[in-house]
Amino acid sequence: MVVQKTAAEMNYGLSLPHRKMEDWRWTDLRQLVDKPYPPRQTVVAAAKDVERLLRSSPFAKVGGARMVFVNGRYAAELSQLKNDTVTSTINVDEPVITMNAAFATDGACLKISGTVDTPIELLFITTNAAARTIATRNVVEIEQGAAATLIETHLGEGSYLSNSVTQIRVGEGARLDRIKVELEAADAIHLSHVHTTLGKNSVFNDFTLTSGAKTNRQNGTVEFKGQGSEAKVSGAFMLGGRQHADTRLVIDHQVPHCTSRELFKCVMDDNARGIFQGKVIVQRGAQKTDGKQSSHALLLSETAEFDAKPELEIFADDVVCGHGATSGDLNHDHLFYLMSRGIPPAEAKSLLIAAFVGEAFDLIAHEGIKEALVKFSNKWLSQHRSGRA
Amino acid sequence: MLEIKNLHVKLADEDRVILNGLTLSVKAGEVHAIMGPNGSGKSTLSYVLSGREGYEVTEGSVIYKGEDLLAMTPSERAAKGVFLAFQYPIEIPGVATMQFLKVALNSQKKARGEKELSTPDFMRLVKERASKLNIGPDMLKRPVNVGFSGGEKKRAEILQMAVLEPSLCVLDETDSGLDIDALRVVADGVNGLRSPDRAMIVITHYQRLLDYIVPDHVHVLSRGRIVKSGGKSLALELEAKGYAQFESEAA
Repeated sequence: MVVQKTAAEMNYGLSLPHRKMEDWRWTDLRQLVDKPYPPRQTVVAAAKDVERLLRSSPFAKVGGARMVFVNGRYAAELSQLKNDTVTSTINVDEPVITMNAAFATDGACLKISGTVDTPIELLFITTNAAARTIATRNVVEIEQGAAATLIETHLGEGSYLSNSVTQIRVGEGARLDRIKVELEAADAIHLSHVHTTLGKNSVFNDFTLTSGAKTNRQNGTVEFKGQGSEAKVSGAFMLGGRQHADTRLVIDHQVPHCTSRELFKCVMDDNARGIFQGKVIVQRGAQKTDGKQSSHALLLSETAEFDAKPELEIFADDVVCGHGATSGDLNHDHLFYLMSRGIPPAEAKSLLIAAFVGEAFDLIAHEGIKEALVKFSNKWLSQHRSGRA
Repeated sequence: MLEIKNLHVKLADEDRVILNGLTLSVKAGEVHAIMGPNGSGKSTLSYVLSGREGYEVTEGSVIYKGEDLLAMTPSERAAKGVFLAFQYPIEIPGVATMQFLKVALNSQKKARGEKELSTPDFMRLVKERASKLNIGPDMLKRPVNVGFSGGEKKRAEILQMAVLEPSLCVLDETDSGLDIDALRVVADGVNGLRSPDRAMIVITHYQRLLDYIVPDHVHVLSRGRIVKSGGKSLALELEAKGYAQFESEAA
């Protein structure tokens, strides 16, 4: 069969993943990448646009050193951290990585040794210009015994496709707290892949807030390479309008005595569509693995939709693994109780929605970051639930 | 304060009639006890007064402080001073008790056009009311009713009542699930809130609670209507003879 290439594919010279591919059944990029987004464009950003975007980061006041990328290029004058040349190879045949390998223009190269107390923020901002693809490739290495908190913020204006691939290595006895916030422009497409390998006795605590872009696909892979490690991968969706967000995680237990936890809380309004695909693999010999995943969706309208695809692939016999997925509406008894105390319906709903996503925010260790996210979520709720009963 | 006239209520999604011509008049400062066997319509009365969905009023009226109570939403009723102490208080994970109390109090004040309380003033108010009910800071830090024992839940209901200072308190089986010590604490809390401006409707199956919260009037509810009213001695009579005599009278 000859499949006619789409305009975007012709422009890229690449094939895009489509719904006949199992991992992409809900996110057909042949359709969702609706027009050509030419890669490797050079756009000079106006200073006032950059400033406005920088100020709009929820973490503008959380402090710590920043590394700023404007339209896919490292901006030294806006950054407190020096950048290095990225050399990254991820041996995985995956469409987001393939696109990134072809088009990446720059990226962050971060090596952490020792304990860094204040969060480091990687900011990726895109200014308004003709539709285009912006691809960045990042490498983060947390060396043996080191510890850091890393924020990754994606912000933008206009119509663009952002492709972000990050390779993370957490060394022996090291700890990384990573908080990613996807607040791309309303007309943007965000594709990402994060590939993490964990050394012996390491801790990886990852949280992603997904609230921007019209189309979002985020892949995450966590590979346990050393015993005694722990990974918590969590996230929240706050989506409205016709937003589409698809998160696919693969947690790969390759060695014994590791623990993994996944918790996703997804709030969807209007015609939004959320997808959570979580796979836990326990390889032969990875005994005493403790792996649990759960995804919960709160549908605020009749037309919002959520699909969950939990998968377990277990090749060891002495393990504890489990998964759970729920999807539903606000609890009417909870609502009545709040209203019976004088709280008007719209506020009662906001309180319950905030409590629902708050469970995922609570997994973030850094108080300042957690507060910034709660503030963001309250703002989102006031915009989405205002005037509705 | 409250005039219930010939109230008929059925379940919204089935034909079952639960209240069948209930009439009751409650004046400010009075405490009315409503006693009745299981299934007589006690809890339905409390839900209809607080505005829970799922019930349909087919006949009759409820006038509260001169206004049609049934036309108001649950939060409007609360802002106008109606409070229901739930038989089974609802657990709400993720909503902190203090935040809940503050949003509730300030929502009511806002609806009444009063000035909202500042955080320090609010904290002071809650601490003062909580200490009288043996509620420590530990309980206030937890999410609403989550992990509370039966007794703690009932004390938390009374704390809400003490903070919100309603005009009409409806206590639905507040004694259920309480041992004698917890019952005393709760009853002391309720008695502390008795005032000439405030009315209370105490709904209970057993006479025991009325030893502690002494009512001005006692009514017997059977098959959806009040079949006998009297003074507090009526409660003792019920305790001795049971409800059977009224079941036949109602029929």
